[in-house]
Amino acid sequence: MAVTHSDSREAIVEVDDLKVWFASRDGIVRAVDGVSFDLLRGETLGIVGESGCGKSVTAMTMLRLIPSPPSVIAGGAIRYHGEDLLTFDEDRMRAIRGNEISMIFQDPMTSLNPVLTVGEQIAETAVLHQKLDPRAARALAVEMLQKVNIPEPRRRADEYPHQFSGGMRQRAMIAAALACRPKVLIADEPTTALDVTIQAQILELMLNLKRELGMSIILITHDLGVVAETCARVVVMYAGRKVEEAAAAELFAAPLHPYTQGLLSATPRLETAPGAHRRERPRLQEIPGMVPMLKGERIGCSFAPRCPKAAAICRESAPRLEDRGNGHSVACFNCGSA
Amino acid sequence: MAGAPLLDVRDLKKYFPLKRGVFRERGDVRAVDGVSFALAHGETIGIVGESGCGKSTAAKVIMRLIEPTAGQVRFDGVEVTAMTKAQFRPYRRRMQILFQDPYASLNPRMSAGAIVGEPLRNFGVPASERTARVEQLFDRIGLHREAMRKYAHEFSGGQQQRLGIARALALEPQLIICDEPVSALDVSIQAQIINLLVDLQQDLGISYIFVAHDLAVVQHISDRVAVMYLGRLVEIGDGSRLFGQPLHPYTRALLSAVPRTTAMGERRRIVLKGDVPSPVSPPPGCHFHPRCPDAMERCRRQAPELRDVGESYRVACWLHAA
Repeated sequence: MAVTHSDSREAIVEVDDLKVWFASRDGIVRAVDGVSFDLLRGETLGIVGESGCGKSVTAMTMLRLIPSPPSVIAGGAIRYHGEDLLTFDEDRMRAIRGNEISMIFQDPMTSLNPVLTVGEQIAETAVLHQKLDPRAARALAVEMLQKVNIPEPRRRADEYPHQFSGGMRQRAMIAAALACRPKVLIADEPTTALDVTIQAQILELMLNLKRELGMSIILITHDLGVVAETCARVVVMYAGRKVEEAAAAELFAAPLHPYTQGLLSATPRLETAPGAHRRERPRLQEIPGMVPMLKGERIGCSFAPRCPKAAAICRESAPRLEDRGNGHSVACFNCGSA
Repeated sequence: MAGAPLLDVRDLKKYFPLKRGVFRERGDVRAVDGVSFALAHGETIGIVGESGCGKSTAAKVIMRLIEPTAGQVRFDGVEVTAMTKAQFRPYRRRMQILFQDPYASLNPRMSAGAIVGEPLRNFGVPASERTARVEQLFDRIGLHREAMRKYAHEFSGGQQQRLGIARALALEPQLIICDEPVSALDVSIQAQIINLLVDLQQDLGISYIFVAHDLAVVQHISDRVAVMYLGRLVEIGDGSRLFGQPLHPYTRALLSAVPRTTAMGERRRIVLKGDVPSPVSPPPGCHFHPRCPDAMERCRRQAPELRDVGESYRVACWLHAA
């Protein structure tokens, strides 16, 4: 079943033309509107985009964490080891969540239970899936805390989330997510609430554990720098659709889609070469307007209203993703040929 | 920096007393512990540091939104910290503040026009002049005049921050303190707001204190940059020098931790161990020594002073104490 890729690694997850819609009072919101990508075994895939682009809905749908109603999976498939997760019943999904595919979120305080000790929460999935006895569960919790570099893991396992700092809570979340040694980790803005120094620690930790446990990671973020330094491949989303996909190095060196280009030039870059005073710096490139409402059917390219290159055709039909070689694909009428 | 500074902050301190709580601890949280700097007319100074370093508290104490424990703030040559509220009032209109979450600082029951006009009303501008002034402000910050009738929730995040800016501009301030004004916004919107702030400074000669955790944003907008750690300034000076050749090991670590879209190249990341220590019981000597890769014996005992190392560039580190 596995699809063979140019670099001959198999895809562990294949998201195929996924459509997730929400019913709202004033119509259908097409939060995810035909998104496809593969996660290869052992790779770190980045998904970037601004708020409302559908990146989190895509991720949550992979674990079927979005209640229905109001959401409707209007089409597509999410194949894990070749089997479509969208056809699984709740019991089968439960065997997947936390065990095979695990997830960590931006805000560890809201995803940790304040009345359970950190140790109990770390071992919770393993108790559920592997039927560990209390002693084994505690040993596992301590081992996992040690793995995520929390000092005095034995003592810390008996503490509550409020006794942990922000960075430590995020480590505890990672420990909990990895307790069952999942094959896939979905990290949704895992470092967004953290200081850069702590972010550097957490990212390093995630990548080390990935190597150690042989995981594949989907990293969802709005921070292009984080993606550039951690991911091999990047998917760029805009308004519920994938607009570009490429190897990270290529995407940042030669972005093709006007939205990707806009994002990159709107981001101030840290310049550590001595010199240029602030007054000589060029203005930031703005992307005019804002992310569109996703209500109703969209004719044409979603980015057209903000796009400096938009032509008549862009407003009439939606561009398809086109392969430009080297696994670089883009959905745009005006990006020229490779 | 020609002439007298607009703002002169001297040895500013803010200690929050710890009441007897569940843990029966006593003492103070030394949120701001002796901060001094000056800000010229039309200048932007950026303040960076990790959460809990006291950068937001310092900003609020300067505005007297929080009363200082000790120290002085001179605004345009006049000491304002010892003034009564009534005496301070004319100075308050000359300094304004922008917050991170624009929506939380906009009254949901007031129309956008009324929100922007409120400071004018507070300072006795007659209604007849107010409308025209509010219209000008809406033009200035790039919102349609029709939007004056809308309510805060009808605006996007970026537009809400524009409203916050319009309100701050209403009284024609000389200083705007920006406390993480763009950190809740998406990149494309963030660029719009940063450019607006830069334009306003060029046109109106406003000075900014720009508090943010995003170093690239701070570098983009600041003339000078101050780095804070546990309530103290550890390094302050010209932005291009600070980002190009940082002296303090903390600044170096902070800069090396920023993920970038350009190739890492020769750059090596200095990963700091552990978290920022508690400001209730900060480490003795240099506050940074437990995490410092270059800590020496002296650092554990004695706190280094912020010393001038030439061209008004100051650093508090024994490595640079000649």
